[in-house]
Amino acid sequence: MAEASASRSAGRLVSLAGIAIALVVWEVAGRAAGPARFAPFSDVAREFLTVLGDGLTLPALGTSLLQMLVGYGAGLAVGVPLGVLMGRQAWADRAFQPWVSMMVVTSTAALVPLLIVLFGTGFWFRTAVVFLATVWYVVITAYQGARGIDPRYLGAARSFGAGDWQTFRMVHLPALFPYLMTGASVGLAHAIRAMVMAEMYVLIGFGGRLQQTGLSISTAPLLCSLLLLMLIGVAATGGLRWLGGRMAPWYEEARA
Amino acid sequence: MPGRFGKLHLQAWGPQALSVAVGLTVWEIAGRLTPAAILAPPSRVFARMAAMLASGELPALLAASSLHMLAGFGLAVLVAVPIGFLMGRVPWVSRLLDPLVTAFYSLPTVALVPLIVIWFGLFYAARVALVFCMAVPDMIVVMAAGARDIDQRLVDAGRSLGAGWMQQFRKVLLPASLPFVFTALRVGAVRAINAMITAELFFAAVNLGASMKKAASAFDSAGLLAVLATLCLAGLAVQELLRLLETWAAPWRQGVGNG
Repeated sequence: MAEASASRSAGRLVSLAGIAIALVVWEVAGRAAGPARFAPFSDVAREFLTVLGDGLTLPALGTSLLQMLVGYGAGLAVGVPLGVLMGRQAWADRAFQPWVSMMVVTSTAALVPLLIVLFGTGFWFRTAVVFLATVWYVVITAYQGARGIDPRYLGAARSFGAGDWQTFRMVHLPALFPYLMTGASVGLAHAIRAMVMAEMYVLIGFGGRLQQTGLSISTAPLLCSLLLLMLIGVAATGGLRWLGGRMAPWYEEARA
Repeated sequence: MPGRFGKLHLQAWGPQALSVAVGLTVWEIAGRLTPAAILAPPSRVFARMAAMLASGELPALLAASSLHMLAGFGLAVLVAVPIGFLMGRVPWVSRLLDPLVTAFYSLPTVALVPLIVIWFGLFYAARVALVFCMAVPDMIVVMAAGARDIDQRLVDAGRSLGAGWMQQFRKVLLPASLPFVFTALRVGAVRAINAMITAELFFAAVNLGASMKKAASAFDSAGLLAVLATLCLAGLAVQELLRLLETWAAPWRQGVGNG
């Protein structure tokens, strides 16, 4: 026990060393290249503190993320039932698989010009982009989870007289859970990517600001925005993992 | 990327063909009911594709776009495959690089566009850089997960039979890695094609991207969808090609991990 925790804290230390080395390399490279090409970390850190207090960047980011949640939620609401249906019913699998296959390989960015023609550049456009970026990955993970349910559990539930709803709640849902959490976190990564991409394309919201900071004299504001996006991505994935652990403690055990 | 998706099954064509036919019919009806500028029906889209193919326009555009896609993807493979493999096999490398890979994986790659413009300009080099940056993190993640899951019993068996370092790598680790190397290639290829068109839309508009932008600004939805369909078919074709290559390179995997 003590040994395991000692090796874990040693591992933490190596991870911290990795971050420290990257920051030192960044600082040195930044000083060599100059702020116009690659601002050093110290400049970006200073910029970061200003940005946190300026009352413009964070609200823009908040609005963008809130709007993103609509498309992401819709992606989950459609993707999970569709994936489970495809995983459990052969006819649904055959009917939807060619289309899912096609949509997965289709680039979301390539859909943007079409979606602008269809929806304009407002709220519905961004929601549609995020939805289309999220839904297919959710479908795939839910599908894999549903296919992988051990038939013996279903047989056991049936022989103990479980009804449809009980079987779903007691067998399907716990078996699906790890896949749904994976789908939700992969989907979230894609949703954030899509949100930034859509906003950069039509120059609104946080993505639009990001695109414009590329024009300023120093790269510090730009790198600061990138850092902010990174932190949000890491926090979002970590948050989902924490939520998964809280909702279903067997999830982490199953993965370990 | 799971095996069953990103590919059209060659067996059981019947139901799939039916599904595609039903989808196309729905699209055709929807396309005829809406104004042509918004959603062209598939009949017009395919007619446009045929015309663009016949005139040689579409193959030329696709070939020009593939140039930076292949260059960026090739560089990404050279970087991501060894790094991902090391991260999967050597614990301290994994711990050292994991925070950085997580950070870059969480960063929407398209956000790097302004920085890439500053470093590489707006043309070929910038497009290659974007393809590279978009493919690398996803491939590293797949490679590391695969290398970590190599059956330890195989490695132990190799060691107890007296395999040296090189033999261990060539006879045990390499064959055991092939399946997830191909998974990484497939994931990377999807990302690379994605980046290929993203780059052409976000940097100076050229090739397929220019063609899309022109069609969009002329409200020519048939032209727009024709390029989109081409991209989609190219994506599926690359997936299928990698799958054939995998069956050829690792025939013993057939029917094992494709579910």
